[in-house]
Amino acid sequence: MMDTVLDAAARTFIQVTEVWVPQDGKLVLASGNYGDLDAFKAASGKESFAKGEGLPGKAWADARPVVLKGFENSYFKRAEAAKEAGLTSGVAIPVFAGDELKAVLTVLCGDDDERIGAIEVWTEADGVLKLDDGYYGAAKQFEWVSQHTQFPRGQGLPGGVWAASTPMLMRDLGSGYKFIRAESAGKAGLTTGLGLPVPVPGGDVFILTLLSALGTPIARRFEIWDARAATMGHSNEAVLIDGICEREGKLWDDENPRRATAWQGRIGRVLGSGQPVVESDGAGLPAGYASIVALPIHVGGALSHIVAWYR
Amino acid sequence: MKKLVIIGAGMASGRALERLIDADPEAYDVTLFNAEPRGNYNRIMLSPVLSGEKSYAEIVTHDDDWYAQNNVTCRFGEPVTGIDRDRKVVIGTKGEVPYDKLLIATGSAPFIIPVPGHDKPGVIAYRDLDDTNAMINAADAPGKSAVVIGGGLLGLEAAAGLALRGMSVTVIHLMGHLLERQLDPAAGYLLQKDLEKRGIKVHCQGATKAILGEDRAEAVLLEDGTVYDADLVVMAVGIRPETRAATDAGLDVGRGISVDAQMVTSDPDILAVGECVEFDGQLFGLVAPLYDQAKVVAATLLDQPAAFTPKELSTKLKVTGCDLFSAGDFADGEGREDIVFRDPSRGVYKRLVIEDDQLKGAVFYGDTSDSNWFFGLIRDGEDISDMRETLIFGPAYQGGSPVDPLSAVAALPRDAEICGCNGVCKGQIEDAIAGGATDLGAVRAITKASGSCGTCTGLVEQVLSVTLGDDFKMPAAQSICGCTDMTHEDVRRMIKSQELKSMPAVWQECGWKTSCGCHICRPALNYYLLADWPLDYKDDPQSRFINERKHANIQKDGTFSVVPRMWGGMTNPAELRAIADAAEKYNVPTVHVTGGQRIDLLGVKGEDLPAIWADLNKAGLVSGHAYSKGLRTVKTCVGTDHCRFGTQDSTGLGIKLEKKLWGSWTPHKVKLAVSGCPRNCAEATCKDIGVVCVDSGYQIGVGGAAGMDVKETERLADAATEEDAIELATAFMQLYRENGKYLDRPYKWIAKVGLDWVKERVVDDLESRKALVERFELSQSIYRTDPWAEHVKERAESYQPLANLTLEAAE
Repeated sequence: MMDTVLDAAARTFIQVTEVWVPQDGKLVLASGNYGDLDAFKAASGKESFAKGEGLPGKAWADARPVVLKGFENSYFKRAEAAKEAGLTSGVAIPVFAGDELKAVLTVLCGDDDERIGAIEVWTEADGVLKLDDGYYGAAKQFEWVSQHTQFPRGQGLPGGVWAASTPMLMRDLGSGYKFIRAESAGKAGLTTGLGLPVPVPGGDVFILTLLSALGTPIARRFEIWDARAATMGHSNEAVLIDGICEREGKLWDDENPRRATAWQGRIGRVLGSGQPVVESDGAGLPAGYASIVALPIHVGGALSHIVAWYR
Repeated sequence: MKKLVIIGAGMASGRALERLIDADPEAYDVTLFNAEPRGNYNRIMLSPVLSGEKSYAEIVTHDDDWYAQNNVTCRFGEPVTGIDRDRKVVIGTKGEVPYDKLLIATGSAPFIIPVPGHDKPGVIAYRDLDDTNAMINAADAPGKSAVVIGGGLLGLEAAAGLALRGMSVTVIHLMGHLLERQLDPAAGYLLQKDLEKRGIKVHCQGATKAILGEDRAEAVLLEDGTVYDADLVVMAVGIRPETRAATDAGLDVGRGISVDAQMVTSDPDILAVGECVEFDGQLFGLVAPLYDQAKVVAATLLDQPAAFTPKELSTKLKVTGCDLFSAGDFADGEGREDIVFRDPSRGVYKRLVIEDDQLKGAVFYGDTSDSNWFFGLIRDGEDISDMRETLIFGPAYQGGSPVDPLSAVAALPRDAEICGCNGVCKGQIEDAIAGGATDLGAVRAITKASGSCGTCTGLVEQVLSVTLGDDFKMPAAQSICGCTDMTHEDVRRMIKSQELKSMPAVWQECGWKTSCGCHICRPALNYYLLADWPLDYKDDPQSRFINERKHANIQKDGTFSVVPRMWGGMTNPAELRAIADAAEKYNVPTVHVTGGQRIDLLGVKGEDLPAIWADLNKAGLVSGHAYSKGLRTVKTCVGTDHCRFGTQDSTGLGIKLEKKLWGSWTPHKVKLAVSGCPRNCAEATCKDIGVVCVDSGYQIGVGGAAGMDVKETERLADAATEEDAIELATAFMQLYRENGKYLDRPYKWIAKVGLDWVKERVVDDLESRKALVERFELSQSIYRTDPWAEHVKERAESYQPLANLTLEAAE
């Protein structure tokens, strides 16, 4: 099963992932994965963002996920360093617990003709989900289809996430299954889709989807952890409810699901702190993986789920 | 090496095989037949494959490598055509295989309702991967619709998966609520709400009549005439053990293949396992007992001692985001007690059923934490008397508070209307509070909320309390009953503003403390729901007092009184003859003329009611509703037809009013009278609605009483024409129906809201009056019928003396 030949050196869809956390009224860098973009890493380490400033500050101020395509002449503060690093687009995802901002996760990507994938932000308008904005790399035709698709509650990945208020992981987006947008997803080579709600103050609906392609994957391993009091009680634990890995195959086990305890391991740290974790030192990660992004979702002010992706 | 042949590569035989190979890989040379062209996969995970949340590869339990490594000879895609027990061979379509031991694991077959059209293309069952792929392929274009027949676990999982695939899905369920075997009505309500949030339409109490379509399924027709479009029809109404191979081989077969505790059939060399077996009269459909059986099968095959014992089962539904749990027995019964916890803001319902200090059953929706702990208590029959008070909070209870009575109001969205009179939403009240209004008076001054009829006062106070916390002191209010902390008025506002259209919806969203109400709240809720949602809500006889349920007044000796309607107090010889005949035929001991100008037959036996009604119906007489919280009588004088003093046709108006208003339910009884002149022979000035005719027209008075309280009517309006008089009376009746507290007569209700408030809506505002009349007519489209005729036709058997009186909710 799942005996895909892995190419660890394959180009990635997302080149930079950062966690910005509020400190003394500003957002400061908590952690980041910059790959080999050392100069951009150095430039970022010195940076901080006031509310409304730069991409992370805008996600904070607007209290919503923000997609920014084209950094030049924009509010993106590190445009010069980004240009040198070949980064052209970014998505900032605020992590709110009720009204409190816990962190902003930013992902930055570079445009070329090869990188295929999708990071989409869907928002509710007139009772259905419409594409707010998205970054697709070279998947231009899929981008066009997405711009002209809308999802009622319960339909497709975004509609399913919206209706269930829970992250979802879809398989085989384009191959053999008749997923909405499947045909164009298949043509674009998109395989796995992770959808998650992005709760914000005020109650507007935002759904983030990460659609990963084999050639330039967003990740090779995805996990969804359930940390809700409604399922876990007050145990300070999370349970792995779904996951798929190119190396290990299925990660879920409906008879004996894996558990994580607060402050133990990466998932445990997200569970304990309520903040995202981005790491690239490889230590303690599943075999064959060098980096992790673990993103918490807070619903009604309480930690509800953690989604994690690994490369 | 001995030869083992297995028929069926499902989950039960797969687990048995694993157990056998783990224990002794050299014990048997195994041949595995499977009609499906594939090996063992985790069938219960087909639903996520359907929805796209899993791939088939992930749910394969045993792949080709596994079978090869364990030397299992696979005969997949080859149906077994026979078992020759004399020669000890299994016959497949491609040849025979000899056995020393045979394990039958043929599983189950889906039940197909044999309605016309059930065999059309596009109608499928939901059992295996091929069915799953057929469903996925059916969802191949936008705008397609599916009907799932059966609201059990499998049907609902199919519905959710198809919806996720982009189909428009309707679930038809025969019973009153979804998953009725696993859930009670309260949890069923929450599940239905969750599914409807996914765009899935749910039709309960729906019986399928036919599958319509030319060459293939195009629609589903229900017995009530409803038609749902369907490109795909999924039948998920149940399964039956697949026993054909065993039956043909002459094994003992009941509903399933009979096995003993060692899983051995009537042939000592043939075992059976899984959904195809019957043990001790029981069939098995969930995976847990199948795995227990598999363990026993492996032991028996290895001549080791083992015995299968059925255990308590629990249920979970695989629809992402629907958290439910049920276990044990949660039916009502004597000596059983409920502990109920609801949190409307989180959509949580938890119910524990206790008997003899033991937890017998549990139903959870929206919060399944600690479900394993509760399941253990049920399974082990532990004594819970020491932790009874805090049991519902689970094992980690550390002094948490019980249900917050304010949680229902806290859960309301900002756009929920609190004050219906002035159209004020919760958000406006919150804004006023944020702007400095810290008491009811200030909120009323700024927003006008509770400034008119005042029935929303309780809700406004609760919004103040939710927003201000300790800074606001809640005045004590009289709740409906011990099931809730809400007043009648609060609940009524919630029913309207939150569009609550069923009793389980009210119980949940208003945070009821009991699982299904009590004899005090149920009649009130039943009235509010039918008055506010006449088309959506179906009257619940079990929530009515016995008189209303039986459509007759019970007397102190257990007999009933029967009062036919005499429109406007008028009758004729034919009616009188029919009444006299009925009185004689049914040995009615007492015939009495009432103060409301009717004839009362007293002392009728309960079982005679349908027959006497049928006889009276034949003469054109209908129920006089002398037992109801509704229009009772319209008393008249003879008016201009005969009386020298009469100013108008009072009998004519009385008859018209009665024909307009009869059958409608009201918070309490309503009596009318029309007097032809101010001499008032019909005593109109002490009725709930009383019309006094004068030369210039009609004086409409309301709010009179002549019972424990005696009160003269107050003048609502003067009408120039008969039409106006009827319209005013009707609008008043509807306003009372929509706003009166259950069991408040009109005079009590008017005292609360003020006659001016009533006049504004019924007299001054013509648009409002018209709308009230229209809403009344809409309700009457359902209720202006003779309940006697309906009961004679449909419910005559319920009047037989052996009726189950334990179900009676009230009295």
